[in-house]
Amino acid sequence: MKPMLVSLGERVRWSMTFILVMACVDRIDFNAAPAQLQTVVEGMITDGPGPYIVHVSMGLSLDADASVHTPVQNAKLKLFSDEGLTEDLKEVSPGEYTTGGIIKGQAGRTYYLRVETPDGKVFESEPELLRPVGAIEKIKFEYEAKQVKQPYGIFAADVFNIFVDADAGPGEDNYVRWLYKGTYKVVTNPELHMRRQQPYAPFKDPPACSGYNVMGGSPGSGGDLEKNGECTCCTCYPNYFETMPQLSDGQLVSGNKYKNVKVAEVPINNATFSYKYLVEVEQMSLTRKSFEFFNLVRAQKKGATNIFQPPLGEIKGNISAMNSNDPVIGIFWATSITKESIFIYPSDIPYPLPPLPIIAESCLSYYPNSTNKKPDLWP
Amino acid sequence: MRLVFVCFLLCSAVTVSGQGILNLKLDGTEKGKTLPAVLSEIAKQNNAKFYFLPEWIDSVAFQQSYEGQSLGDALQNVFLGTDLNFLAMYPQAVVIIKDPRQELMRKDAIETSLRQKKVIERHVLGEPGLAKRGQPVVITGQVIDAKTKEPMRGTNIMVSDSKEGTTTNETGHYTLSITPGAHVLNITFIDYEEKVIDLLAYVNGEINVVMEEKAVILDEVVVQSKTSAQELTTSRIGQIQLTMRDLKRAPAMLGEADVIKQLQVLPGVTTVGEAASGFNVRGGSVDQNLILYDGLPVFNGSHVFGFFSAFNSEAIRDVSFYRGGIPAEYGGRASSVLDIKSKDGDFQKWNGNAGIGMITSNVMVNGPLTKGTTSMAVSLRSTYSNWLVHSINTNYADLRKSSVFFYDGTIKLTHLFKDHSRLSFTGYSSKDAFRLMGDSTYQWDNLQGSVRYDHTFSPKLTSEFIAGISSYGYQVVNKDPLTASQLSYRITSSVIKAGFDYQEGYHKINFGWQLTHYAFSPGTLKPDAPGSNARPISMDKQYSIENAFYVSDAWSLKDRMFVEAGLRIPVFISFGAASVNVYKDNLPREITTVTDTLHFKSGQPIKTYAGLEPRLSFRWAASPTSSIKLGYSRVYQFLQLVTNTTAVTPIDIWQPSGYYFKPQRADQIALGYFKDFRQKQYGASVEGFYKKIDNILDFKDGAQLILNKHLETDLLQGKGYSYGVETFVSKNSGRLTGSINYTYSRSFRLIAGPTSSESVNGGKEYPASFDQPHILNVSWKYNLSRRHFLTGNFTYHTGRPVTIPLSAFPLENTTVAYFSSRNQYRIPDYHRLDLALVIEGNHRRQKRAEGTWVISVYNVYGRVNPYTVFFKSSGTGVPVPYQLAIIGTIFPSVSYNVKF
Repeated sequence: MKPMLVSLGERVRWSMTFILVMACVDRIDFNAAPAQLQTVVEGMITDGPGPYIVHVSMGLSLDADASVHTPVQNAKLKLFSDEGLTEDLKEVSPGEYTTGGIIKGQAGRTYYLRVETPDGKVFESEPELLRPVGAIEKIKFEYEAKQVKQPYGIFAADVFNIFVDADAGPGEDNYVRWLYKGTYKVVTNPELHMRRQQPYAPFKDPPACSGYNVMGGSPGSGGDLEKNGECTCCTCYPNYFETMPQLSDGQLVSGNKYKNVKVAEVPINNATFSYKYLVEVEQMSLTRKSFEFFNLVRAQKKGATNIFQPPLGEIKGNISAMNSNDPVIGIFWATSITKESIFIYPSDIPYPLPPLPIIAESCLSYYPNSTNKKPDLWP
Repeated sequence: MRLVFVCFLLCSAVTVSGQGILNLKLDGTEKGKTLPAVLSEIAKQNNAKFYFLPEWIDSVAFQQSYEGQSLGDALQNVFLGTDLNFLAMYPQAVVIIKDPRQELMRKDAIETSLRQKKVIERHVLGEPGLAKRGQPVVITGQVIDAKTKEPMRGTNIMVSDSKEGTTTNETGHYTLSITPGAHVLNITFIDYEEKVIDLLAYVNGEINVVMEEKAVILDEVVVQSKTSAQELTTSRIGQIQLTMRDLKRAPAMLGEADVIKQLQVLPGVTTVGEAASGFNVRGGSVDQNLILYDGLPVFNGSHVFGFFSAFNSEAIRDVSFYRGGIPAEYGGRASSVLDIKSKDGDFQKWNGNAGIGMITSNVMVNGPLTKGTTSMAVSLRSTYSNWLVHSINTNYADLRKSSVFFYDGTIKLTHLFKDHSRLSFTGYSSKDAFRLMGDSTYQWDNLQGSVRYDHTFSPKLTSEFIAGISSYGYQVVNKDPLTASQLSYRITSSVIKAGFDYQEGYHKINFGWQLTHYAFSPGTLKPDAPGSNARPISMDKQYSIENAFYVSDAWSLKDRMFVEAGLRIPVFISFGAASVNVYKDNLPREITTVTDTLHFKSGQPIKTYAGLEPRLSFRWAASPTSSIKLGYSRVYQFLQLVTNTTAVTPIDIWQPSGYYFKPQRADQIALGYFKDFRQKQYGASVEGFYKKIDNILDFKDGAQLILNKHLETDLLQGKGYSYGVETFVSKNSGRLTGSINYTYSRSFRLIAGPTSSESVNGGKEYPASFDQPHILNVSWKYNLSRRHFLTGNFTYHTGRPVTIPLSAFPLENTTVAYFSSRNQYRIPDYHRLDLALVIEGNHRRQKRAEGTWVISVYNVYGRVNPYTVFFKSSGTGVPVPYQLAIIGTIFPSVSYNVKF
């Protein structure tokens, strides 16, 4: 009988068929209480004139869209100071409560907040000392050529790095946060916005905020534009906020001064530098407790997501439930603020930028975090 | 013990007179005369009677003069080492009797051995008359492997009639004290043919034993601590000896026999997840296990995330594992010791092994360079497993872009000197490279070289000297053109050890000195391409030495009691050059609170730690089939693995004790009861332990540990404790053998600093990351025939604790996740069933090659056990937990090993 021969190649293929599926990545769910049962309180008092704002809402599930959080309405909020003053806060929009000017934040004073929800649950913050803060002495910027990798190639992504020199403050153990905000000006042409619609293609479709509407016009022209008011979405001031809190813990203090603390990066492109760029930095004092809160927020925002991801800590805050065991998160913090600002001009960029192309959109919708209100500091 | 008298035959009587004849003083004239002649004279002269059987004493003579001594003393001396004795029936009458106990037991032992076709050697040391009154005979010698001439440590030597026994030491030497006379010695070692020695010993002497490996083994247990046969006779609590043959028959993943994977099914040993690096012993962390390869420390014993251990089982001679009652010669790790010894080459002829598996292949060749005196063994294992990761079927597309490579190799040269000294050199190298989900390639390597010299000063005093260098390092190579960089880390340790064993009577004294110099390069980051944005970072090097003296005395009192008391004195010094920040008192350590910087010159001590480590191991045989054991040990650990990831990763760093970090101090006490049933067919044990650890390191919430120049600002020290009960039942013989063990244990941490950022979970106790209360392991082997075995194991343990995001909340202009307190949730429980069919080649002694097929099915019912939990950003930038399961399905495999 002829022996049956099996080639090595066949054997290998045969054994490979054993490998069906191997690793898998799955969403993992834990038996945790629903996020919507968690009350969230977030607010602050400053040494500025106020009003001071507090938000009260319910927690979000991890997959939720942040814009759909549930505000807690009709809550009773009361602010207390160590001088014996109290002030009830008013709800100015759903879940947003403000003070009316009775209590003014003062360095050296201690404040706390009580929140009573409509279903009778009471939450209180720990007393927060409003600590003094040193002044920002100088804001500096430095150009840096950078690139960014996109799925379809590598592109220039140059920036200005923003640094501050500052006084560390009068205390022995200062905790400082730098809050950065960038603002620039853009002009768009929403009146040129078009919509493709039969029988006219394209069909002129200026938004109402453009100050134009479409009247008549010859067939096929899409109509004639007619100005009927002022444009409120042609000139915008988009804001750029920090992605994570900037804190002083990693900074060396020399002669009670902070030197060259990097607080932000300003992206360089033909939108941000159509005109000029406003850099505002606030230096804010923190208590140890509020510092630890923002430190954990920073760690979470900084953390990369990979399989060797370190677990992040519980962000504890300083709000506690007083008459229940209901979960509550949040912080009510007190801070002194000193501010400084500078403008950076297109001429500071070592090369000319091409002009911003015509954008036939409302600037308010085209640029996120935009406003049509000119900032006070903008000349 | 029951004394049996069966022989009281009075065939001859001599009459004597007078009281207390045994007190009669002799005059010296008896010298050179036979006993019957002397007794006859005394009977005549003193009117007394002696009853005896002439043939018993015809050959007994007075070799010396007993002038001035009593007759009783003289008879005792003359009968020493024989089975003769005497009784004073009346003051004037003496009966000479034969105590048959020893002789019967000896006869029985020899007959049993003959029936079992065991090899019996006869050794005669001296003559009956040379035995010294009141002094035992001391037998010394060495046990070696017939083929490789390697000394065999841990070999059991039992005196079958008296049930006394001992085990060979590191160099295969033993010392045995026995009463003069006839005995039977049974010499046993797992997988080796039992050697039986019919011994007549009247004077001290040397018996060297050569053991042969068994051709056929049917009755051993698949994977277990040799509880029944060995644990009871092993002196220390918590000691386990593993053999390679056991490992190869176990159902291993991808057909790879793996030391560490098999440890993980022993009571009290577990792992945090599927294919996780390392192992956890009695609630201890992964870094608390000392892994020694030929005496040198191994810092990362894993290949490919921990899929395989970095040790090729073909190159291993034996493995000793101590999870309690750690002997004084070991130190520096708080939980356990895994002492791996590599194989010597064959001194007689060239032979080898080769194995082909689905992931790896290995080859080992060994043989004599000079026949009988110098041998070489070379082994190499490598993988071709890239296709494995490419076959990963996942929606997480990046996982398919992964790649895996590793190898390990060992070379060993051994030379035997005529005076039984032995010199060996071991070189070991392993390297890994894997890329997982991205542009970063993780690489790590171990490189070791050591020289060992074993010398026997005298049969009682043996020694070993080891000198070597061990280097472990990793690199993370990032090929992204914008951020191309190379992160490097390395530890180099230079080791010198001298150990001595001295045996005197029932005492075995072990003492020695060990010195290790560590050089740490805690991290450098270099840009790796011209356009890279990576900024170079270089961490200061760290240097330290660990010096230790140790001494222990093992004292066995026959088979009833064994006590080993030891003391180890470690001294650890970290020294410069270094710069150390000083922080404000009473404030958390942060850069803002730095008040000064101390500068230490090269070689200048920064901090010194010294301690005393008492060790105690106690065993008491409550009955011939049961024993109670107690162990206590204190261990200082000067190097700690710093990690804050859910799974141990190759890029974790080892942090030496120093200015801010105190060494861990672990105290463990363990108590166990061990019992055999039905002539060792079944064994059972229950063992409890409590362990307390001071100065454990844990990380602050949100800490970043890699390339952190001031780790003292991100790490915290606190306390930990663990406790548990381990139960074990085994069936050791028959067609079906196996074991079941269940462990209940807990492990907690407490880090309570003055502020909340210096505390974990608000200063409240929390479960350690490897706290797994319930662990169950079942393993079995069924002999289908002499060459076919069906083996399997089932393992279950509670899911490990994790810290997870529970919800999200809006804050200023962003959304932030709200995490649970540390380790307050658990991943799903882990369980898995594996089966294997082992088909061995024929068992003829003379054959050209011997092949073994292992057909195994890993994870039979396709359980998706998580390897790690990690987070991906949701649309709002909030981390959302995901689990990665490496083996998420049933996994069959085939491997073939051939020995030639």
